[in-house]
Amino acid sequence: MSNAKANILAKLKKQLQGAERLELSAEPVAEPEVLNQTQNVETFVQLLSANHAEVLCITRDEIAATVKTQLQKRNIDRLMCGTPWVETLQAIESEITLNTFYPVIDGHKEALFNTVPAAITGSHCGIAATGSIVLWPTPEEPRTLSLVPPVHIVVVERNAICNDLATAMKTQAWKAQLPTNVVLVSGPSKTADIQQTLAYGAHGPRELVVLLIGHSK
Amino acid sequence: MPTTVSHSAKRHTPRRNYPPKPERVYLFGTCLADALFPESGLDAIELLERQGVEVLFPQGQTCCGQPAYNSGYQEEAKAVARAQIAQFPLDIPIVVISGSCGGMMRHHYLDLFKDEPDLAVEAFCERIFEFTEFLSCVLKIELRDQGVPERVALHTSCAARREMDVHISGKALLDQLDQVELVEHAYASECCGFGGTFAVKHGDISGAMVQDKVKHLLATDAVRYVSADWGCMMNINGALEYRGAAFRGEHIASYLLRRTGGGEDQA
Amino acid sequence: MTADTIATDGSKYAASARQFRANVARDLADPALRENFRGAMDYLMEKRKQAFPSEEELESLRRKCQLIKQRCLLKLPELLEQLESKLVQNGIQVHWAETTAEANTIIAELIQRQNGTKVVKGKSMVSEETALNDHLQARGIECLETDMGEYIVQLAGEHPSHIIMPAIHQNKSQVAKLFAEHLPDFSLASETATDVDTLIQTGRQVLRDKFCQADVGITGVNFAVAETGTLCLVENEGNGRMTSTVPEMHIAITGIEKVVEFLDDVPPLLSLLTRSATGQIISTYFNMISHPRQPGEKDGPREVHLVLLDNGRSQAFADEELRQTLQCIRCGACMNHCPVYTRIGGHAYGTVYPGPIGKIVSPHMLGLEATKDLPTASSLCGACGEVCPVKIPIPKILLRLRQESVKPPGEPIVVKGQGCNRKPLEAGIWQLWRWLNTSPTLYRAVMWLASRGRWLTPKKAGAWTSVRTLPKPARRSLHELVKQREKHRGNR
Repeated sequence: MSNAKANILAKLKKQLQGAERLELSAEPVAEPEVLNQTQNVETFVQLLSANHAEVLCITRDEIAATVKTQLQKRNIDRLMCGTPWVETLQAIESEITLNTFYPVIDGHKEALFNTVPAAITGSHCGIAATGSIVLWPTPEEPRTLSLVPPVHIVVVERNAICNDLATAMKTQAWKAQLPTNVVLVSGPSKTADIQQTLAYGAHGPRELVVLLIGHSK
Repeated sequence: MPTTVSHSAKRHTPRRNYPPKPERVYLFGTCLADALFPESGLDAIELLERQGVEVLFPQGQTCCGQPAYNSGYQEEAKAVARAQIAQFPLDIPIVVISGSCGGMMRHHYLDLFKDEPDLAVEAFCERIFEFTEFLSCVLKIELRDQGVPERVALHTSCAARREMDVHISGKALLDQLDQVELVEHAYASECCGFGGTFAVKHGDISGAMVQDKVKHLLATDAVRYVSADWGCMMNINGALEYRGAAFRGEHIASYLLRRTGGGEDQA
Repeated sequence: MTADTIATDGSKYAASARQFRANVARDLADPALRENFRGAMDYLMEKRKQAFPSEEELESLRRKCQLIKQRCLLKLPELLEQLESKLVQNGIQVHWAETTAEANTIIAELIQRQNGTKVVKGKSMVSEETALNDHLQARGIECLETDMGEYIVQLAGEHPSHIIMPAIHQNKSQVAKLFAEHLPDFSLASETATDVDTLIQTGRQVLRDKFCQADVGITGVNFAVAETGTLCLVENEGNGRMTSTVPEMHIAITGIEKVVEFLDDVPPLLSLLTRSATGQIISTYFNMISHPRQPGEKDGPREVHLVLLDNGRSQAFADEELRQTLQCIRCGACMNHCPVYTRIGGHAYGTVYPGPIGKIVSPHMLGLEATKDLPTASSLCGACGEVCPVKIPIPKILLRLRQESVKPPGEPIVVKGQGCNRKPLEAGIWQLWRWLNTSPTLYRAVMWLASRGRWLTPKKAGAWTSVRTLPKPARRSLHELVKQREKHRGNR
């Protein structure tokens, strides 16, 4: 088994040996359309909504109240949040029990899976062309926070919406600094595996509530 | 290197530059038409002659080589292909009355002989035109319909469609017949199941495909279908006859000749 | 049967591939299967069409992705070494396996080292290739599929029939019956029992517990980026995220051809993959994994492993034409458009990968002898090549495999099992055919005989005449008629 790597590489290298490096034609430039920021925000909202996310355009000040309304609408009275949100949500603490994530998930998996109905996280940026939210988990906002609870509330800044993935990767220099995990989320979990019929809430969050904050309303 | 098409090119615009109308052309009759359906060959010649084009028919022509090529017998295919190339020495267009033979000679000969640059096969391939392609794009034929009004379906072979754009040239020709309405059958671009030796080696799958094709053609209110490929037609007509349907397909050469008041000059 | 007596390395597929003809006969005659597949393929073809409104954009993107994959393949050994180096630098461990058995052994050992007994799996066709579930189950390790389609298929004791939608051959009533049979709390009596939403929620509840309890999560990989040491996963359900995040150990397995050079190569490939597969602009989740749990992080697997599998890919790689097979990004568009696949369904092939891609990749994995009927089971209509996002010339490769399968003995081995279809009788017939078609006089003589003896045409001729009539030779061949015509004209 320890020879597998050597054997495989030797086989591959042998085939390429002596063969003139094929001059491959230049790859065509096939880039997505570049839209202006207003159009991008519109597309972003449209695509997410079409994918059954609930998108709410609000101001930063309205976050706490909106969260409360959204939770109460769903008969939920507690929320797990990444540490950055504790201060913002203090205003609703009397009605919504706020918990931050466990010190570590180990030993708390069952609690996370069974006792946390909703969670709120921020986001790294948005991608307009595909209606995606880029999550860039950190110790303050762990990966499972946006995955396990059935309702995921995510805050996205309008001016953090990029045109497309390739542009985001380039302008934000992703390749120099990829974290443990990056996730592009484009809606609540879904599947069409049964008779090609779309159903939501497969394994990831059943509901995705997007709070789009920024200057214009 | 001339444009080679792989089966992965999808086009709606012509991929080649067409020459002006020539004085003479060769006709490649194909072995199927030769043995089984020669009238379509004669009708094609007639149509071409009516356009003022002289048609040469080398008596030494046989088969394009595709059956062996498709079965993996390259050496045999090459031998037969070489023999065909030698039969058409003049630098004039070769008109082929089948999209799949046309595709074989226009595109696959390049693959067959890619290791034999001395053969100058590219020049030969450049001279190959499928029949409807030639009429539509080179002769820019104008057809005057003298027949009764009717609705017909068009079946284009897969090779004709994907290698020779015959679904476009065939349709263009039928569109010129103002008494003829073209109806599109369901799953028109799906294979009829012929595939040459496929029909024999995997007869059950082929049978399932042709039965569906027949079903879709019969579901239209067309009185016949028209096609430019005898392989498909042998397959579909055979299935139609087997189930006792009166509906049949006619080769487009014969159909066009009939509609434009021709056909008296049969041998 | 003990672990020692059954082969748990995917070699069972060689046996099932040999059953192709019998499988085809069975499945062609199954009206429910025919209807399910016709409906499913029509749905997927339409979705794809809607996702590509601009033909120009599509063709440009296809060309770009073809060239990206070709570039990566030309650098494959170097990229694999770079990938390993970067992954290791990132804390991800890399293992190499030449065969399916090796891959299974590596994975089983990793799990056993953890004293793991519960495994959850995200979708991985490569793990089907190695029959990983068989191997783990034989060692007392529970290995549960979590992709809804795969879960259904596993419950039914079946294999996936499509590489993207594994349970495409089942309709919702069939799934409901299956759940009623296997899940104690599910009852067919309920009004909503056959509602897709109910079925999915049932699956969700069952599998949620499993994610929570699992020791190890196993996934595939869609793209492995050498530049950054990153594993990319495409999914809609969230089970990929669950599998690669919740358990303590994450093992990813993939084929060696999945490595891409640059992070920038990913966006165009991703865009083509999701749109070609299901007509989606992007899948619900796109995961990019570059490290195990880092210091200070509160969740995520403490160990992440990548297993790189060869299993015949290096054989395809060795030939410039066949190497194009490795461009595949596993979108499934080829099978969605295939008139053969639509009628025989995915199981008939007996191989892990069905459809057109299955026909050209399985000979390398299982040998041409076991898959000898696959290259000819195509009318070469070209629908597959037309939609392949990376422009693999599938019909051309099928022709090439036909050629390999009738090669005379003594030729250098290009594909293991080459020459398996060579029959002296058939080779003799083609010799005869060649002679006939290169001797114009002989050809015309035979045509004369055929036309004069046309009344001898048989009524029955094998499979052809089971659904069609056989045409008779014409009274006069075209050669003769043209000659007559010219003579006739000459006499005017």
